[in-house]
Amino acid sequence: MSASAHSQSYSKTGLWSWITTVDHKRIGILYACSALAFMVIAGIDALLMRSQLALPDNGLISAETYNGLVTMHGTSMIFLFIMPLSAGFFNFFTPLMIGAPDVAFPRLNALSFWIFLFGGLLLNFSYLIGQMPAVGWFAYANLTLRQYSPTVSVDFWVWGIQILGLASLIAAINFFTTILNMRAPGMTLLKMPIFIWATLVTQVLLILALPVITVACVMLSFDRAFGTGFFDPGAGGYVLMWEHLFWVFGHPEVYILILPGMGIVSEILATFSRKPLFGYSVMVYSTCAIGFLGFAVWAHHMFTVGMGPWANALFSAATMLIAIPTGVKIFNWMSTLWGGKIRFTTAALYAISFIAMFTFGGLSGIMHSSPPIDTQHHDTYFVVAHFHYVLYGGAVMALFGGIYYWFPKVTGRLMNETLGKIQFWLYMVGFNLTFFPMHFLGVQGMPRRIYTYAPDRGWNLWNLICTMGAYLTAIGAFLFAVNVFWSLFKGKIAGNDPWDARTLEWSLPSPPLEHNFDVIPTVTHLDEWWHRKYNEDGTRKVLAPAPHFDPQTIHLPNPSYWPIVLAFGILLIGTGFFLPSFGHVISIGTSVTGALVVLGSAFGWSYEKA
Amino acid sequence: MRRKTGITLGAVAWLASAAAWAKKFDEMPYKIDGGFDVPMSTIAGLTEWTRDINYVYLITTVIVAVIFLAVALPLIYTLYKFRAKEGDDTPPKQLHGNVILEFLWTVIPAVLLIFIAVPTWKIIFKHDGLPARADAIKVHVVGHQWWWEFQYPDLGITTAYELHLPENTPVDLSITSADVYHAFWIPKFGGKTSAIQGNINRLSLTSPLARLPEVAGGDYYQGQCVELCGTSHALMRHVGVVHTKEGFERWVKAHNQPPKVETASQREGEQVFARCIACHAIEGTPSASIPGDKIGPNLSSFGSRSHLAGGTRKNTEENLAIWLRNPQGLKPGVLMPNLALTEPEIAALTAYLRQSTYKTY
Amino acid sequence: MLDSQHTGSAGTAGTIHGAGQEAHTHPTNTGVDNRKFAMWTLIASECFLFGTLIGNYLIHKNRGISGPKPHEVYQIDITTLSTFDLLMSSVAMVFALYYCNARRLRLFQFWTGVVALGGLIFLGFQYIEFSHFVLKEDLGLTRNIFASSFYLLTGCHGAHVTVGVIWMLSILITSLIKGDKWFNSTMVEVAGLYWHFVDVVWIIIFTVVYLFVYV
Repeated sequence: MSASAHSQSYSKTGLWSWITTVDHKRIGILYACSALAFMVIAGIDALLMRSQLALPDNGLISAETYNGLVTMHGTSMIFLFIMPLSAGFFNFFTPLMIGAPDVAFPRLNALSFWIFLFGGLLLNFSYLIGQMPAVGWFAYANLTLRQYSPTVSVDFWVWGIQILGLASLIAAINFFTTILNMRAPGMTLLKMPIFIWATLVTQVLLILALPVITVACVMLSFDRAFGTGFFDPGAGGYVLMWEHLFWVFGHPEVYILILPGMGIVSEILATFSRKPLFGYSVMVYSTCAIGFLGFAVWAHHMFTVGMGPWANALFSAATMLIAIPTGVKIFNWMSTLWGGKIRFTTAALYAISFIAMFTFGGLSGIMHSSPPIDTQHHDTYFVVAHFHYVLYGGAVMALFGGIYYWFPKVTGRLMNETLGKIQFWLYMVGFNLTFFPMHFLGVQGMPRRIYTYAPDRGWNLWNLICTMGAYLTAIGAFLFAVNVFWSLFKGKIAGNDPWDARTLEWSLPSPPLEHNFDVIPTVTHLDEWWHRKYNEDGTRKVLAPAPHFDPQTIHLPNPSYWPIVLAFGILLIGTGFFLPSFGHVISIGTSVTGALVVLGSAFGWSYEKA
Repeated sequence: MRRKTGITLGAVAWLASAAAWAKKFDEMPYKIDGGFDVPMSTIAGLTEWTRDINYVYLITTVIVAVIFLAVALPLIYTLYKFRAKEGDDTPPKQLHGNVILEFLWTVIPAVLLIFIAVPTWKIIFKHDGLPARADAIKVHVVGHQWWWEFQYPDLGITTAYELHLPENTPVDLSITSADVYHAFWIPKFGGKTSAIQGNINRLSLTSPLARLPEVAGGDYYQGQCVELCGTSHALMRHVGVVHTKEGFERWVKAHNQPPKVETASQREGEQVFARCIACHAIEGTPSASIPGDKIGPNLSSFGSRSHLAGGTRKNTEENLAIWLRNPQGLKPGVLMPNLALTEPEIAALTAYLRQSTYKTY
Repeated sequence: MLDSQHTGSAGTAGTIHGAGQEAHTHPTNTGVDNRKFAMWTLIASECFLFGTLIGNYLIHKNRGISGPKPHEVYQIDITTLSTFDLLMSSVAMVFALYYCNARRLRLFQFWTGVVALGGLIFLGFQYIEFSHFVLKEDLGLTRNIFASSFYLLTGCHGAHVTVGVIWMLSILITSLIKGDKWFNSTMVEVAGLYWHFVDVVWIIIFTVVYLFVYV
């Protein structure tokens, strides 16, 4: 180690320090803040759609705009809200929970954030020039081909997904390495907090599923940019090829969205019932089983495409199998609560509501797993209800619970509980008012993604109620923002361990110091922090004195501006594909410039002192 | 205290706005209907296929409802019983797991799933991948942006929007698309089938019994495209029309009768129609003998159709005139150009097109 | 281009090294260096990438509506040569790593150069093959779906070789600048992993794409 490495000083505050940061905690905060900002946009999309559907034959929003809102709402909520917010939690807490000073590759970590941000901005740029992709979040071929979608709208989707996918892949490799390689001494795999397990399996899914959508997007962009015929039956291509490739990625993606939420809920429930997670090892196995089976069920999105009875029967069976590990999880969460002393904080309320809402969504999922039923439910509001119950009632509620739970660790201040509970109930009531009637709409045969409907279909009442629920949720989201800003400045000082929690991050000051641990802890138990506080019989231990700490041993990675430069180069490469209408020189020139920026910053990066 | 007032005020405001909406709703000219006996209900089907689907549906619904109660009730009880008491700061017993319990709730759901899986498979193999019956009526279903074409190869009929069938007859549908991905669905006949360019998906079903007397021109079953297919996806509607056997024969006979050209306006209409024949054909007129695929719907017996513009408007003189004045206004993005017809031309064309020897509605 | 912070497992904070420094091996949980571990992870992902591309090629290769078919255009003799060249560059990679570990600067530099040269020759062969297809066989990217899926697969592999060549050259240049101070075995090993993987992928492509037409 060069002696000058840690004596080098750099500014700890200010915009520049955030742009060049390689601190996993700051990057986590950046991820979470961008995700919440994108959520506001995607939420406004949803409100506009619900306003349009409040009444039949409504003329509030045009057909093309509505299709754009559908696409952007789905794409943003998945790729720009749930995934990056989860990534925010991975970033901030993975090293803290496994007792590591940082992630394995701090600068790569910054790189994945900047790539993500640029990809998200590129996708959202489509609003500004009025060219929202209008093909649905799964962008089925052949509507996406140039002859049916001649404007650049679909290019925004393709390149947005491509760039966001790259960001996720880099982050996934980083966290996979961090978790498997950088645990504190004594923390064997089965002593890792369950959230870390959820993170680990999520990274595996990302690593293996992302390349498939990458190839699919390359094929689509070739079809659009150069006129190849991968998805054009007239040229010998297959329309269904896209659907298969998309769902080979897309179904693992569903578990990429929900597994972090499951991990967060497991931590919260254990903390607030003050008991260890019930059946920890079974929870680990079921997480792995869900991840594994997630790759074998993609075609259950395709029961109506004519795969034949055998494929339908087999994919239906595989899908039903997933219900088993999922069910085990649900019963284990309930048993975690059983016999506990449950404190109903806002975080706990979110986690408990997760159990109920996720179970509900999971059960309607079992209904779809049966192809005969699915042929009736497919692409109706029943499906919309189902996946909002698992992704909104499930993943999003868990993530909000995670925010209430970990906010004190991140900021040093507790969030306002009263406001929090009001927001929770607004969300609960609003959510169920919005999405429960959608089951009825589905049974009544209302197709999804229609911008208007005839008044004589019998769908009027429930649509109006859904819309009223959506507005209630919006008020909840507003209260959440108020709560965050109020708590940042006026919230109660949290102290190290406000919840009497179980995992290592709570042994650190709030917010943690930049180098995380003064001395890397040695782990002897699952729920290490709890075991440092309590004896087996529940009496309090006297906390061991902090071990001697020599600041000389701390090395912090230097800040670096190369990640943002490199990410910008990647953005340029993608942008070149939007510019053929300005002539090939500008178009190819932009991409080549981007490639040179990438190459140059890679070298700058390599020769820079880390 | 102030906080409570705030909440109360908020709740009152929300309820008041909801009531205002509801009042607006009440003033609408149609009935509010939130029930399940609606035109596109997925559980009120009339064919054997839908009955079989409902059978699996019922079993599954009962099982999942029981499971939900088995989760929700104990959860509520747990939350009540094990809530933290004021002032009690000692941690509860640290219970790590229970192998027997965990084994049980792995096995019991697995067993329950078998009760869903077996009927599921039974119904899949009963209806999927069947060979076509020799006595079935063959129909080629072709999705277009944004209308459905129905071809009866054995009867020489090509029509749009309305799928006419005789009652209680095996039907063999070959479903495909001329452009983007669509999906064909008439909920009361059964599940949906993707319509994909380059693929032909077969669907065999037996049409339901006719319920209404023949005067009404058959029973109408609403359907709609259910795969996002571009701008006017929401307006890509269709109907299944079930006749008695005699009614169907009369429809077949009447369908390819060319429109009469007797009155002056009909004659003028025929001349105006000459501007439409690049895209539209009417059987028995010169337009039908122009070779090549037409990109617009076949307009034979157009007057017999109940709706126009992809099923969005009733087929009346006024609505046809609205459509002809500006097709984009009714169906955004539609390929049909605005021909800038004058009002007299529209009237003539309407008179020419809207006649039919067989009214089905 | 990988940065890394190693953690001592016994509570010692990590030592840091940029690419310009010699690597110290610090125990990780798995005993594998972070950078090597990450490369293995990337390779897992790349397997799915190339798996998808190869599957895509197999599905489409005989569905060209017009234009040449696979067996009409492949020049197995040239491709065999280029395959041999790429295989030999992998052997050179083994030598390069060996001499890096053995601290033999000139030999290390020589063999690294041979690896890069082997990659460049392979890219040259690919250029000859592609230009032959386009100019002589009239088989451009959009001629038919076989051509599209062929170029997508082999082009993607070529891009990987290009990255590898750039990586090898930058190792060579770094070594020429820093001389004896720079024997970053871990870095060379990681680059070697990548190189061998790209090589193995080519063997699969050679078999599936070029040899299967004779089956």
